[in-house]
Amino acid sequence: MMSDNSEVSFSNYGIYDLESDLELLLPNTNIKFHKISDNAFSYFRKNSEGKIVEKIIPIKSDNLKIELAPIRPLNHPARRTSHMFLQFDKDIYLSENSAASIFVHCPIEIGIFLVHESTRDSLDWITCNSLNSRFGLYGSPDTGKLCKYAKVSLATDYTDSNSYLEGVMQIVVENTLSFGQSISKIVFQITDNALYYQDSKTIIDGIKITMKKRAAVNIADVKTTSLETDWSMSPTWEDKTTSTHMEMGLE
Amino acid sequence: MVLEFLQGLSEMQLVGELTVLSLLIGGIIMAGGVIIAKIAKLLFHKYYAPSLPKDTAQNISKLIYFGILVISFLGFTSSQGIDLSGIMVAGGIFAVVIGFATQSVVSNLISGLFLIVEKPAKHGDTIELPDMGISGTLLDIGTFSSKVRKFDGTVTRIPNEKFFTSNIRSLTLSTVRRADVSVGISYESDIDGAILAIKNEIQQTMPFVLQIPEPEFRVEELGDSSVNIHVFVWHPRDDWSQAQPILLTTVKRALDKSGIEIPFPQRVIWTGKD
Repeated sequence: MMSDNSEVSFSNYGIYDLESDLELLLPNTNIKFHKISDNAFSYFRKNSEGKIVEKIIPIKSDNLKIELAPIRPLNHPARRTSHMFLQFDKDIYLSENSAASIFVHCPIEIGIFLVHESTRDSLDWITCNSLNSRFGLYGSPDTGKLCKYAKVSLATDYTDSNSYLEGVMQIVVENTLSFGQSISKIVFQITDNALYYQDSKTIIDGIKITMKKRAAVNIADVKTTSLETDWSMSPTWEDKTTSTHMEMGLE
Repeated sequence: MVLEFLQGLSEMQLVGELTVLSLLIGGIIMAGGVIIAKIAKLLFHKYYAPSLPKDTAQNISKLIYFGILVISFLGFTSSQGIDLSGIMVAGGIFAVVIGFATQSVVSNLISGLFLIVEKPAKHGDTIELPDMGISGTLLDIGTFSSKVRKFDGTVTRIPNEKFFTSNIRSLTLSTVRRADVSVGISYESDIDGAILAIKNEIQQTMPFVLQIPEPEFRVEELGDSSVNIHVFVWHPRDDWSQAQPILLTTVKRALDKSGIEIPFPQRVIWTGKD
């Protein structure tokens, strides 16, 4: 299961059945599984920052099954929030009573899971682009919402995924206000959005933003929209929350 | 045999109608009450407290413990045939006397209640009491005193009255916190170049520094020997150790990499001939 990159072949997402040693190569990251005895494997990972993680994995059967899959970008450098703050590189302008559908790149992380019959155990996670894994604050320091922050560009469609680094997400924006509005950023709870993968590509559940007037206040109502696809669904790293939407203020 | 023994105890009068048997029954009720209270507290801590916020769990635990103790005390008094209304009348007189004698104890008790109601800080919060020079993690707001674990690992007990009346600076109430350092560069150095170098180094090597709000740079002073720049960065409230202690190192490294001089204090002396 290897994908062709311009110079180096990186390992694809998917399930790997390990009977002996395995080496997975990802951008700036090297992962090695080594069979140390009949009922134990060792795990070694070195990332772009030179950090090394080593683990021993005892197993019941002769072989070990693992899954390499994209996960939500919430864990590097530390898990502090479940919200995502996407800042568009260019503003999107919507005139009054209009709607638009766009695709954006959204950063991802990669999870390594131990596969059991019906469940997945998280063994490790990595980010292949640690420089684009930072925090941002939406709102004021005392009452604001801490988010993972990323400056993102528009994608052409679901095939425009940036392998191992960014997935593609559809955003449907509807402006029901009586005046035009520019959108430069969105903040949403990404734990509501599932990720799907195929080979080295990732797509993410979309969101629908409705800009509307409520009493005297203009708000943007952000809701998750589930994707219907035949791509494989990534295991959930964090508990999936039951909240379905959040609201942003219009500035 | 046992019945005869108990009969004997019931006939042994101590004071008024108080017999050894009734005192024994009262003791069993109180001891049973204490044991039940401790078991209830233990079960609550084991099965329910982990799912509740720390301070709520502590308060409910105290309520359960002392509630059972009060109920068993009432059971004890009724088993002895004690009329509490009489005690209350007599207690009124003593209350004034005791009130004066235990003024600070009562004050600490009342302050503890106010602290629980007002909640200026919760269990586990990092706080600073500037008046007392104490910083650390709030461990417990007890009946008479509160406990703060200082950053050196020692635990300080603070009487509730002092805790309630002092200024409390909460370091964990806001979502984010700000770290700042000051650095001087030589007059020959390019200020914008220095700021850009520091900004890039922070972006690349300090993952806990927030991108929004961006790091802020203020030219603070044209000093005797250097142009002083103040650097402000924001970070998640729990990650102070990933920002403040390493910020100055990062700034120094950025300036070193760019060849920007951090000058020593210097004097330019002009002699008469010059």
